[in-house]
Amino acid sequence: MSATTATTGRKRTIVERLTTSWLYIGLIGIGVVSFVRIITDTDDLTGAGTIRAAIIATCPILAAALGGLWAERAGVVNIGLEGQMILGTWGAAFFTYHYGPWVGILGAALLGLIGGLLHAVATVTFGVDHIVSGVAINLIGAGAATYLAEAIFPDYEGGGPRQLNGLEAPAQITIPGVSDLANSIADRHWFVVSDIASVVQALTTNISTLSLLIFALVIVSALVLWRTSFGLRLRSCGENPQAAETLGINVYLYKYVAVLVSGALAGIGGGFLALVASSGFSNGQTGGRGYIGLAAMIFGNWRPGGLLAGALTFGYTDSLRLRDTQSVHSLLLLVAIGLLAFAAWRAYKRQVTGALVVAGAGVLVMAWFLLTDSVPREFTVMTPYVTTMFVLALGSQRLRMPAADGKPYRRGSAG
Amino acid sequence: MPSAVDAVQLRGIGKRFPGVVANHDVDVTIRPGTVHALIGENGAGKSTLMKILYGVQRPDDGTIAIEGEQVVLKSPTEAIEVGVGMVFQHFMLADNLTVLENMVLGAEKLHGIGDGARTEIRRISDRFGFDLDPDVLVERLGVAARQRLEIAKVLYRGARIIILDEPTAVLVPQEVDALFENLRELTSAGNSVLFISHKLDEVLAIADDITVMRRGTTVGTADPATATKQELAELMVGSELPSPETEESTVTDTVQLSLSDVTLTDEFGRNLLSDLSLTIRRGEVLGIAGVEGNGQAELVETIMGMRIPTAGRIMLGDEDVTHWHTRRLREAGIGYIPEDRHRHGLLLDAPLWENRILGHQTRPPSSKGMFINRRGARKDTERIVADYDVRAPGIDTPSRALSGGNQQKLIVGREMSGDPVLLIASHPTRGVDVGAQAAIWDHIKRARRAGLAVLLISADLDELIGLSDTIQVILRGRFVGTFDPAKVTPQDLGTAMTGGAA
Repeated sequence: MSATTATTGRKRTIVERLTTSWLYIGLIGIGVVSFVRIITDTDDLTGAGTIRAAIIATCPILAAALGGLWAERAGVVNIGLEGQMILGTWGAAFFTYHYGPWVGILGAALLGLIGGLLHAVATVTFGVDHIVSGVAINLIGAGAATYLAEAIFPDYEGGGPRQLNGLEAPAQITIPGVSDLANSIADRHWFVVSDIASVVQALTTNISTLSLLIFALVIVSALVLWRTSFGLRLRSCGENPQAAETLGINVYLYKYVAVLVSGALAGIGGGFLALVASSGFSNGQTGGRGYIGLAAMIFGNWRPGGLLAGALTFGYTDSLRLRDTQSVHSLLLLVAIGLLAFAAWRAYKRQVTGALVVAGAGVLVMAWFLLTDSVPREFTVMTPYVTTMFVLALGSQRLRMPAADGKPYRRGSAG
Repeated sequence: MPSAVDAVQLRGIGKRFPGVVANHDVDVTIRPGTVHALIGENGAGKSTLMKILYGVQRPDDGTIAIEGEQVVLKSPTEAIEVGVGMVFQHFMLADNLTVLENMVLGAEKLHGIGDGARTEIRRISDRFGFDLDPDVLVERLGVAARQRLEIAKVLYRGARIIILDEPTAVLVPQEVDALFENLRELTSAGNSVLFISHKLDEVLAIADDITVMRRGTTVGTADPATATKQELAELMVGSELPSPETEESTVTDTVQLSLSDVTLTDEFGRNLLSDLSLTIRRGEVLGIAGVEGNGQAELVETIMGMRIPTAGRIMLGDEDVTHWHTRRLREAGIGYIPEDRHRHGLLLDAPLWENRILGHQTRPPSSKGMFINRRGARKDTERIVADYDVRAPGIDTPSRALSGGNQQKLIVGREMSGDPVLLIASHPTRGVDVGAQAAIWDHIKRARRAGLAVLLISADLDELIGLSDTIQVILRGRFVGTFDPAKVTPQDLGTAMTGGAA
């Protein structure tokens, strides 16, 4: 057991390094947001209501992103996350109606897993192009959920051909003392302090246990994928399956497991939409969150911490869109500051062209912010997608995907 | 005495693939604690034999005995269990994982994936002078370090018999010396090494025993203490092929292609090509001899505009084409028979007439303005099929359905159409039957008489001697000798190719 004691020494330094850098990034982020809030006088930007909405918007994206992480780390591009999520919404509705919310979540995972199984059979066993198979699963998922809802839900209480309402939600948790204290600090609208208090308040007041579960799954995934030999083998299949094969690893098996887990996680994300984000199933309620999840994972550079940051960013912009146009207008300032900071960083790294392009974009957004009072409704709907595009366009040069991601692999091709 | 038992005994190994006999009647005996070299030309069957010994492929005939025990190896896992490990020519490493992760992958049960493994890696590294840091990402390692990691990986799994497939192909001389030091450490610790190579000076420097392969079988053994490079080259090359007959010279005075001091550097800053200069006149065939991987592919890609030289100048006729891209070069009249017709020459699932258009998509008869001229292309494909004797059911047949020889004849016909001024032929008769070989030789000779300049690269020395007007030998990206094919023998060339005195 000398191994474990000695490793902890090294592990702690990594954890320390990560937490401190994340702490700094988080603090700077909150500082900028707080600054924008005060400048533009939109307290809603970090109101507890907004944060709560942001957490709810984040969770399905996060679950889908985790699903993407599992599949892509094993070398399978799972663009079928959207379809698996849709299957999850139906599964959650059906099983919750009969057996309550927790069985409902298992049902959501099961339906998502079936979608994952389809994808695995197509891509791993038959070598179908991952994108083709994924698109097919999105179509099948949407079609199957529509059909099943129409066939089954009209007979249920609160159900119709396109929805099933009044489902029981998983329990919510409030931590009494902390919640009230945070609330009172948040109401003072102090710089940074109140913003942090808002976050604490949102996390301690009526937070869904399913949200907590999904956040916990990020940590579980990180540990399983990076701290176990199972995870090492799984990742090796995404990096160099031929090498894995020469070392006696059953690449097909690991790819199957990864894609099944991926589907189940996407299904849980769908279940969250049906049970927590709204109080029932309705047709088409995923609204492209599977794709946003995939984008969050790419934004996060195929790492758990990164995809968490991505999902939070997208969830936050998504929640602002739901609240009022004034906040979205303030967001322009936030984006402009972000772009200019990024341009400065580029210039510091002596990437002149990149710096100029980004600075130009930043100036444009800043001008847009200064010259207008509000952002048209149509634009606010686009916000999360535009943000995604921006982030991907600016960040893509640093991204490092698994080396064999999306590449077909046939057994016996080594050597 | 256990050390008297042979480490590996291969008896009568045979392996057939559809249409090809890769190995037959192979016998190899490796004594314990020695470096055993297996030498032979490309395509002699060395790699297949290695894959059989490592369980990647199963032999059709013959027996394998490891340390006196008969074994049947169905997978690499089983080979590892009996103590056989292999270092592939193309490293089997995941760049985005650390040294430690690559090392323990698949063998996590031995020492875990944490500090136990880290200690063991340090122990192996120190014992054999590998200088490996467990926590570095593999992508940060240089080629030599990656190779040491591959060897360490094999040792970590407890292998006592280590197969190295052309380990020096990617190393610079100093790195080769260091590797040999490592290998001596390994054998002195009782391990056996099977060393596959076709570089004779290296083999003579490191091997305790030598087995020579040619055309899928073992043709002899040699004692490195007494054998000379000359003898080994003769054994390796043999000379049993029907040789193309040399004809009267048709060389003119007009220079068609000239390279002056062309240098090409890879991303690690090493020279793939160093100061190459050559000229080819109209009506001249310049042959390039060399052991594969000494810069031939890079030379061709540089002339074809697929790589841009780091320094030097390339002239086609009177024009400086150093920075031209491939399509412009092709339009200027360069025909190209690629080394690997499946990867570079053909779309296997496209019909013959579409393959006819490849590389000629901007020129009549394949195109008319900005549109593809289907009728013209089809008609011209009919012409090629007839003139070049491409045996195919029709021009709508996918090219995959053709035999290698017929595929190659189609490519030759395509590259000869449109009146090229320069033909680059990379291994034009590799993997084709004898009939097609003779036909391709005839086409090249006829074109030469018509004033075509030809750059011929081949591993078949008889082909080089028979077709060329001049032969240049390339070694490690440099020309190391010029020969007159009328006077040279395959043995002379073999010596020069493997680094002997020219």
